[in-house]
Amino acid sequence: MKRRTLLLSGLGAAGALIVGFGALPPRSRLGKPELLPVEAGEVALNGWIKIAADGRVLLAMNRSEMGQGVHTALAQLVAEELGVETASIGLVPAGFDAIYGNVATLEGTLPLSARAKEPGHESTVARLGQWTIAKLGRELGLNLTGGSSSMADAWEPLRWAAATARQQLVAAAAARWKVPASGLKSEGGEVRDGTGRALGFGALAADAAKQAPGDVTLKPREQWRQIGRAVPRTDLHDKVTGRARFGIDQRPEGLLFAAVRHAPMLGGEVGAITPAAVDQLLQMPQVLRLVRLPAYAGGTEAIAVIARTSWHAMRAAQQLEVEWRAPAGGPAVIPDTQRIAAELAATARRAADEGFAFASQGDVDAALRDVPRRVEALYEAPYLAHATMEPMNATARVADGRVELWLPTQVPGQVRALAARVAGVDADKVSVHVSYLGGGFGRRLDIDFAGQAVRVAMEAGGAPVQLLWPREEDMTHDFYRPAGAAFMQAGLDSAGRALAWRVGSAGDAITPRWLARVVPPLSGPIDTPDKTASEGLFDQPYAVPNQRIAHVATHQHVPVGMWRAVGHSHNAFFTESFIDELAHAAGADPVAYRLSLLDDLPRHAAVLRLAAEKAGWGTPLPAGRARGVALHESFGTIVAEVVEVTNDQQRPRVLRVVCALDCGSVINPGIVTRQMEGAVVFGLTAALHGRIDIVDGVVRQKSFPDYPLLGLAETPQIDVHMVPSTNAPTGIGEPGVPPLAPALANAWFALTGERRRRLPLVA
Amino acid sequence: MDIDINGAMHTLPTHADDPAMPLLWALRDGLALTGTKFGCGIGACGACTVHVDGAATRSCLTPLAACAGKKVTTIEGLAAAGHPHAVQLAWIAEQVPQCGYCQSGMLMAAAALLARNHEPSDADIDAAITNLCRCGTYPRVRAAIHAAAAQLRKASSQGAQA
Repeated sequence: MKRRTLLLSGLGAAGALIVGFGALPPRSRLGKPELLPVEAGEVALNGWIKIAADGRVLLAMNRSEMGQGVHTALAQLVAEELGVETASIGLVPAGFDAIYGNVATLEGTLPLSARAKEPGHESTVARLGQWTIAKLGRELGLNLTGGSSSMADAWEPLRWAAATARQQLVAAAAARWKVPASGLKSEGGEVRDGTGRALGFGALAADAAKQAPGDVTLKPREQWRQIGRAVPRTDLHDKVTGRARFGIDQRPEGLLFAAVRHAPMLGGEVGAITPAAVDQLLQMPQVLRLVRLPAYAGGTEAIAVIARTSWHAMRAAQQLEVEWRAPAGGPAVIPDTQRIAAELAATARRAADEGFAFASQGDVDAALRDVPRRVEALYEAPYLAHATMEPMNATARVADGRVELWLPTQVPGQVRALAARVAGVDADKVSVHVSYLGGGFGRRLDIDFAGQAVRVAMEAGGAPVQLLWPREEDMTHDFYRPAGAAFMQAGLDSAGRALAWRVGSAGDAITPRWLARVVPPLSGPIDTPDKTASEGLFDQPYAVPNQRIAHVATHQHVPVGMWRAVGHSHNAFFTESFIDELAHAAGADPVAYRLSLLDDLPRHAAVLRLAAEKAGWGTPLPAGRARGVALHESFGTIVAEVVEVTNDQQRPRVLRVVCALDCGSVINPGIVTRQMEGAVVFGLTAALHGRIDIVDGVVRQKSFPDYPLLGLAETPQIDVHMVPSTNAPTGIGEPGVPPLAPALANAWFALTGERRRRLPLVA
Repeated sequence: MDIDINGAMHTLPTHADDPAMPLLWALRDGLALTGTKFGCGIGACGACTVHVDGAATRSCLTPLAACAGKKVTTIEGLAAAGHPHAVQLAWIAEQVPQCGYCQSGMLMAAAALLARNHEPSDADIDAAITNLCRCGTYPRVRAAIHAAAAQLRKASSQGAQA
């Protein structure tokens, strides 16, 4: 507790230094109309909203669409306040001003327990931390789509921007008609007076821009017509006709194509390439040029071949003879996953004593000594690849002192900064066009491929170049979900109730490394305690009087990054498998045992009860089947999953998953349901099959056959249920992933009596 | 060489006119038909699925030489004469796509299945749809195929009555 308080005090002091304390209304992100470029006939009303000549509402979109439905859901907020249909809203790219930054994801970096941040009952420390981070976040303006934060971040500012625009449009109509604004309504793209008289937004926009908005209020919940409805996604027509443009679909005039090949060893270097080899390469049909690519942020060196098609470029890159070298650091920096697993396990066993305590209360050592019964277990999780369906790519043109980029990215502002550094120009000479993302899952929070594309385009004589990684490069040069291990110990009283909970975990820190690569101005020591390392462990929800949950940060020389649900992705497996072990040790039902430790967290209990009820928990199943359960909060959303499993030749086969969640106010239940279904499939892929093995510095898994994804035939029935809530919305992109693996392992235990503590569950 | 794509003959530009070149790249980098996607290049993921003479085919493994004299249909040509295919309508009704990258291939695989099987069972769908989707849209894909099949049966029985 003491260290956590210290950490927050530090942040609080920083915040106070910058601004002093004060109110932070959502209007601080309204933005001036000048932030929005306008074309002929358009009128901007603030930094988010402009009105086209035909009256259409245009929204500055600051988030990347990678399948999570954010383009639709954010438009719903605006449609609601302006009284138009969601489908009628046009999207324009947001610029780089700080109002478009992501404050919510930074608030999510605070190491707060479930009890400290329960909505409406936040502790003083939590309020101070949230206020400070929010203020810092607004100053910083880091634009990032990730951390399941888009809706939480947009919830107030976007509705506020739309409501302000609405008030101005209404005021303009009131002035035109010389009537009080109070009797007027904004509906169907018009302002109406209730007697049949109406003025379209297009006719009012120029006047509206001159009106003061007056007292702006948000539409009350009872009047919502867009929010809370399963509004159809606005991007699907293009996605079923082949018209949606992803990164690799960009076709600027005169486009050339490049393929990348990295040194096979992680951290490896490009050695000699003989003149004969280069000659041979350049004689291949349609091949134009060879480019050496420096290591991105201390990573792996590569070559790129420019050609007239991606196929020619990939073939040539593959055939080129290169002397690949090991990392300059020698054997000490060459990773091997077998050795790493042993080291993580050994470190985890010491970590409760030696590590940084993210949570500590009571006297856990004394409690463990005094209890009649102790349970302990070591859990392990492997490295994982993102494997987005669209491999890494970026298209760049460097000409006339300017850089233009078209790419799928989760961090356009960081792409701009990197492109400026690589090309040696000012950031305002760089344009970034964000395409649809063929999957993100955190991989596109890194920007290595963008820097490579700029570097290659610098050698292309002003022509645009589309740089593409073959699947094998994508799989073998990812920023992997770090491997982790946790040694869990608990002490139970004679009734089986947990009195002590002691955890030591080990693994590489993600955030400090990511900051160093992607946001260098914010980077600090790699050994800064990283909340993502312990999230899902230190914030476990169960009321245990004595706890110590500590983590040792390791240095394994494997590039690691954000992977859907980040630390929760493996830590939930550790926590929720272990609580299940305690339930069985206590001879208690796993749902009842959890509920007995959740008296003061009614939202958690409600989610667990809903999942259990909908799954028929406790009712008989056909022979050869069993159920398992897990409950986990991440990104502010509480999810419980009940998995029904059968034994298919000593391998678990999942027949049904029931998922219940509390994500605060539901903006679009259709999107929430599909995100949960997708997360279950993503979680099941990892739980059953996911592993990246590294032997002598080289990743063994090259493509889908050896890094299998769950297929349609293996996909179980998935049912999703939401707990009604009036709280502010929280994340939905990631929180469905963490509970799946432990629920499955717990079901397997219930079925077979065999406790599997290492992922993946199928070797 | 010339190639019949979506009902029209296309002449490949010189840089993409190589009989060894996979159809995928001739479509994408030769003809700017970018609806067909590259996922793995080894026929494992199905993102590149098109129809060759009506059969679902992984275009990343199909050399141009094998397409001579055959009819190729891509996602851009799935809606015949501007009328959306039943699978496209069902895909919207079921709100199937998430990121959407694999969906061109999914749709082409589903359309080929329904062309030869008007009432596919779950097992038929399991066997025919081997495309990979990282977003996990499979439950919706299955539901949409059943819905499209029902729609096609309805349309054909109405056609028979008329």
